[in-house]
Amino acid sequence: MKKISKYLGLPILMVVLLWSCENLDVPITTQLTPEVFPQNSTQYIQTTGPVYAAFRGDFAFSWWWTQSLTTDEAIMPARGGNWFDNRNYIAMHYHDWTADNGIVSSLWDWSSRVIGTSNQAISILNESMPEGAEKATTISELKTMRAISYFMMMDSYGNVPLDTLYGDFSSHAKSDRKVVFEFIEKELKKAIPNLNPASGITTYGRPNKQTANALLAKMYLNAEVYTGTQRYNDCVAACDAVISSGLYAVEPRTTYLQMFYPNNGPQMKEFIFAVPFDPAATTVGFNGQMYHARYDVPRSERAKFGLPFTPSAPRSTLPEFYANFNDANDIRNKQWLTGLQFLNDGVTPVKVTTTKKGYDQFYTGSDGGASYTYQVDLTPNIVLRQNETLFDCGNDEIAWNMGYRNVKFYPDATSTSRNQNNDVPFLRYSDVLLMKAEAILRGGNATLGHTALSLVNMVRDNRTTTAPWTSVTLEDLYKERSREFTWEAWHRNDMIRFGKYEGQWGFKTNTDTYRRIFPIPTNARVLNPALTQNPGYPQ
Amino acid sequence: MEKLKLLLLAFFIGFSINSWAQKTQVSGVVLDEQNMPLPAANVLESGTNNGVGTDAEGKFKISISNKSAVLIVSFVGYVEQRVKVDGSKSNYSIKLVSSATGLEQVVVVGYGKGSRKNLTTAVSSVKADQLNNGVISDVGQLLQGKVAGLNVSASGDPTKASSVVLRGASTLNSSQGPFYVVDGIPGVDISIIAPEDIVTIDVLKDAAATAIYGNRAANGVIMVTTKRGNKDKTQISYSNYFGIENVSNQLDMMNSDQLRAFTTKNNLNFTPENDKGANTDWQKEILRGNGALSSSHNLSMSGGGEHGNYFASVTSISKEGVLLGSKFSRVIAHLAVEQYAIDDKVKFGLNVTNSNSIYNNVPQRNTALLQAVNHLPVSPVRNADGSYFENFIQTGYFNPVALINHGDDDTKTNNFVGSFTTEVKLPFGFSYNLNLSYQQLNSLHGEFYDSYYAKYNSANFYNNPDPPQVHSLMNFGVNGSALRNSYQNTNTIIESFLNWDKTFGNHKIKAVVGYSWQEDVLGDGFQATNTNFPVDDVSYNNLALGNYGSVSGYRVDFGDSRAYQKKRLISEFARVNYNYNDKYLLQGSIRRDGGSVFGTNNQWGYFPSVGGAWRIDKEGFMQNQKIFTDLKFRASYGETGNSSGFNAYTAQFISGSLGTFYYNGQQIGAYGPNQAANPDLNWEKTATTNLGVDFTILKGKLSGSVDVYDKQTTDMIFNYAVNPVLVPVGTIVANGGNMSNRGIEVALNATPVKTKNFSWSTNFNYSHNENIITKLKNPYFIGGDSIRRVSPEGGGQTGSTLQIFKEGKPLGQFFTLQYAGKNSAGVSQYVAKDGSLTTTPAIGVDYHYAGSAQPKFLLGWDNNFTYKKFDLNIFFRGVFGNKIFNATRADLFRPSTAMTTNILVDAANESPNDLNAYKYSTRFIEDGSYIRLDNLTLGYDFGSVGKYIKKIRIYETVNNLFVITKYSGIDPEVEQGGTAPGVDSNNFYPKTRTFLFGLNVIF
Repeated sequence: MKKISKYLGLPILMVVLLWSCENLDVPITTQLTPEVFPQNSTQYIQTTGPVYAAFRGDFAFSWWWTQSLTTDEAIMPARGGNWFDNRNYIAMHYHDWTADNGIVSSLWDWSSRVIGTSNQAISILNESMPEGAEKATTISELKTMRAISYFMMMDSYGNVPLDTLYGDFSSHAKSDRKVVFEFIEKELKKAIPNLNPASGITTYGRPNKQTANALLAKMYLNAEVYTGTQRYNDCVAACDAVISSGLYAVEPRTTYLQMFYPNNGPQMKEFIFAVPFDPAATTVGFNGQMYHARYDVPRSERAKFGLPFTPSAPRSTLPEFYANFNDANDIRNKQWLTGLQFLNDGVTPVKVTTTKKGYDQFYTGSDGGASYTYQVDLTPNIVLRQNETLFDCGNDEIAWNMGYRNVKFYPDATSTSRNQNNDVPFLRYSDVLLMKAEAILRGGNATLGHTALSLVNMVRDNRTTTAPWTSVTLEDLYKERSREFTWEAWHRNDMIRFGKYEGQWGFKTNTDTYRRIFPIPTNARVLNPALTQNPGYPQ
Repeated sequence: MEKLKLLLLAFFIGFSINSWAQKTQVSGVVLDEQNMPLPAANVLESGTNNGVGTDAEGKFKISISNKSAVLIVSFVGYVEQRVKVDGSKSNYSIKLVSSATGLEQVVVVGYGKGSRKNLTTAVSSVKADQLNNGVISDVGQLLQGKVAGLNVSASGDPTKASSVVLRGASTLNSSQGPFYVVDGIPGVDISIIAPEDIVTIDVLKDAAATAIYGNRAANGVIMVTTKRGNKDKTQISYSNYFGIENVSNQLDMMNSDQLRAFTTKNNLNFTPENDKGANTDWQKEILRGNGALSSSHNLSMSGGGEHGNYFASVTSISKEGVLLGSKFSRVIAHLAVEQYAIDDKVKFGLNVTNSNSIYNNVPQRNTALLQAVNHLPVSPVRNADGSYFENFIQTGYFNPVALINHGDDDTKTNNFVGSFTTEVKLPFGFSYNLNLSYQQLNSLHGEFYDSYYAKYNSANFYNNPDPPQVHSLMNFGVNGSALRNSYQNTNTIIESFLNWDKTFGNHKIKAVVGYSWQEDVLGDGFQATNTNFPVDDVSYNNLALGNYGSVSGYRVDFGDSRAYQKKRLISEFARVNYNYNDKYLLQGSIRRDGGSVFGTNNQWGYFPSVGGAWRIDKEGFMQNQKIFTDLKFRASYGETGNSSGFNAYTAQFISGSLGTFYYNGQQIGAYGPNQAANPDLNWEKTATTNLGVDFTILKGKLSGSVDVYDKQTTDMIFNYAVNPVLVPVGTIVANGGNMSNRGIEVALNATPVKTKNFSWSTNFNYSHNENIITKLKNPYFIGGDSIRRVSPEGGGQTGSTLQIFKEGKPLGQFFTLQYAGKNSAGVSQYVAKDGSLTTTPAIGVDYHYAGSAQPKFLLGWDNNFTYKKFDLNIFFRGVFGNKIFNATRADLFRPSTAMTTNILVDAANESPNDLNAYKYSTRFIEDGSYIRLDNLTLGYDFGSVGKYIKKIRIYETVNNLFVITKYSGIDPEVEQGGTAPGVDSNNFYPKTRTFLFGLNVIF
């Protein structure tokens, strides 16, 4: 009997022990829990990272598409059904986008995420970081990033909801565009005293004091569009703050093009705030890449640019916009690929061997399969040869050579993928000078001994060898801005401010003024039923 | 809990003052109506778990503890006999009468066994000899078509487990498969079981049966019982088969002449790079030359002595895939030992299984398959100089044969399961079990793409994921790129339960109370990649040889940072069965479950069930009728949960890597929350009401059961999209939706003919289920009432979706463009949202509801004929009334690109001017009904041969002899599980037909 008890004692003991074990607490040892992260300066910096990674996310995609394809600067037609993509790109050109447009939806989603990520990082750092100057600067940087994103949202969608506190999971209704404007202005002004005053490598890729000033200048210059009230003197003052800092200079003519090369970076004296792209950078949950060469370089010129991939090349400019490049001495002409194409030696023609039908799909001869070799010749006009409804040029060599191409963000031969190393500026010093010139032309006070003309020539002297201008009109300034900021995603903003957004170019005939702001995307309204549709668009 | 502890203590005091009974040896023989011996019949001492099986001569020996015990003798298809042991007699001849019903057998339920006739719940059992024959290494396929209510869909791909859905999908989560319990061990990976080692599979269908497994049981529970040794009986058996598998169906793509005729007619031209005047059947080029061979060997030995028994087996399966270079092999070693001690009052069991598998996969398989159908027949596989034909000017165009021959993709897995069980018989009808089990799965995976692959980088190499999701661009580095990963999953389970089985006159009570503790560690391991290798020969075997540092922009892929997960499940459970005179049966159970994976506010929950049955045939008024030999009504209700399908730390606020950002001259790591914490995360709840009737008529010639059920799932877990400005991750895993499944199942067994030399027995099952998503909204995040999904990413169709989750519609609801023929210009047009016709329909906006993937009913029909020593099995199964979205066909329906990628023969009359021809629309939704002759087996049983061989049987089996269907794709058997059922996308894996020859010998 004792033996039996002995045999059974062990399992019984185990059962009793286990019975009392109702412990479901499984400590997490392989992840960053709030108990272990963030706790020191390095970790606080790493905590801010998601905001910058998120901002890089769609900057070269939906932000670019919405700001450029809606203007005469760029067009992206379909070629044999390629790039038709549910009319997403076509709608940008025709100004007939709907609330279901994929690009309009991506832009909303991206800017919302940057704002949400900023709110979240601010909340984590507010709780974990000890009070002091380091905290004030770090949080002011994040608030400036949030302000930039709100600026993009307000600029693109008008009235948008102000969600500024992480942890409040109730959906907010839209605030008036004026209220959003005031919020951004207040946030930037509050941030300026705490932001880092330095430029260069230590602040590159993050907002410093002058980032906030330059963005204020952009806000004030467009204040009439956003709020109905002119703020040109405020614009001049904000520009002066940047100019007086003495941190920046206009890049000379000889190095203007290099400013956008794959090896650009903190050494660029014109960059006030740029997005540092890097093929080695990773982004989780966002794209975070820059693919301009993929869209812009003709397929026939892959070897010329040493690309590791075959570019798709659907994107070009329109003749209306290219007409601005009418000064043969202007270095900025060199950002375009036009006409007959040669290799980098300048003399060897870029040749393509195909068939007669491959060259021209409408060729009707019986020898359509015969070999045909020709030198690539880029033509200025976009012709919808295949199908006008489908915005289709056709799928042959003639179609693929349509449109002058932009290689300002020069193709990156060192990358092993489509992702380029070129950093993309958001705010540049030449923009500040031209903004100040414009503000003065529009009635602002001239300061620091500058005139509108002197400011414009400060830029032009570094772009062309043609004699400086002797006078400047708003129309001149508009054209100068077009030349200077090509492919930098400011053209929509400029066209609206200059009243040119309802003009006609390419195949666009739409003149609806309500299209100065995009519709609230259907998807966004599903996730936040408190959102109402913007005026003009079907409710 | 305290009460339970006291109770337990009381049993032990009682136990220690009781004396042990003496053993009595009883032997005998079990015969059928023709006085033929019945081998493998069950002999069970009533009221105990003490049982033996008969040998080949129908003989048995059993040692019983009670001299006046009752022996219960049972065998499939025969009426159970109860024989009272007479102390003076030690040798019995017991004759069983055929019932042609399965009512008499013992059924394994959770934490115990029960007699089928006294069940109150819906349980279907499949005996080993009823399982599907063939080159099958997957339990799901063994059951395909055999159980009413079980919808199994097997992929053509042999390395992919079939998906199993019981009584309709009850979750929007990815994991819908039933919970497997093997020999009492919950949650075992069923791939470790050799099909030859299985004795029986019991499918617990209603919640009253499954609720004992609490929050893991919502998708049904499948109990697998493997072989055990018999006391005093040594047996060696060997079985093998050799099979050859050939392609029975591939897509009907154009050959050179057809495509040339098409392009000439439509004034299209091939490019000189592509047109080399060849006539290549690319789909054939990626196949093995002479069919795929397979073989299996299973050797088992079993036996036992006075106080113990053993069963050991070794199984080796080797199977070539029909695609070039693909192969799968597995070796399983299995040992089960039972040892009795202390006057046979204590039974120890050790059960050890190790399964070692090697998969040689086709590298970039889905891309290779896609390229094989896409490639123009006018291009050759190899150029005149022997090198592979390639045309990188055309983006996304890669020689599939080169892809296969320049890459490696292999996985080795080792799966070990060990359990130690202790069963103690206590006085007063009590018995106590303590089971400890440990399971460990190791996988070692390697991929290598040699230097040739680096060329592919230039031409936009996208991956081609299955099931359909957004494609991503691949980069194969330079000079070869390699990936290696190794992960381990373990789970440890301790279960302890106390059974009580007592009869008081006409009152019988069976009860069980228990405790279960389980800890799982998943994804314990790592991954690394490298590129730039000096040679191609070392494949992925030596990552250290690579030099990624000199490759600009290359990033080592360390895999999923959330791979490691640890979770704990703790449960207490109890069940009581009450039986009055075998006439009125009642059952109640409750389980209390806790799981660490849930939100801190919702870790514990209760899962109750009740069931009752009335055996009318036992009533006095039924004794004079001649129609029914058995008639039973059942009713039950129970609640179960589903706790799978998401990461163990989903409910918690944790940060992870969110990429890198520029800081002071370098890219540094960015870290932040990578999921939205949900402290309210709770399991999904599924409540099932089941009404059933079991009957036997015509003197046992026909028996069957009919079940109707209503299964309601609430609090479905789904990864909801949320406003990113509030939750930057953009999604949250939360409870929200409800789903309803209602259905009927009919199972019939009949023996229409039974003579001395010839018999025909047949089983038929029918099931119908109606699935509806009744609610989708989430209480915390408002969302919409619908979610568009399933995006196959066909060229030019970015953003197009095929299905929608929508309240009031079933899972698998198609929602797409409505095809309205062609306009006068020959361009496909569609019905716009406002009812007008358009040639430029908008994705999402101009979509219409277009049928569903849910079948109206499923059928299985199994026939067994015997003539003297011949046996013949013919098994049909079918699925009816479901729709399939043939996205594969749509993607190959591009007349305008016929000069660059091949098209289907069916598209011959399309015009290249119809740029809409390929658009996903109702044009590509087809009826998916089919009937398949799934299995035809002819066997011959030599019986005993010579002195040493007790039995030899040889057989020949043909799988998939034919399929009758109107479906135009490769095969109508497309994925029915998961959350995107009925979508045929990228479904290029060829369908096969297998012939196999097999042998069973018992020594």
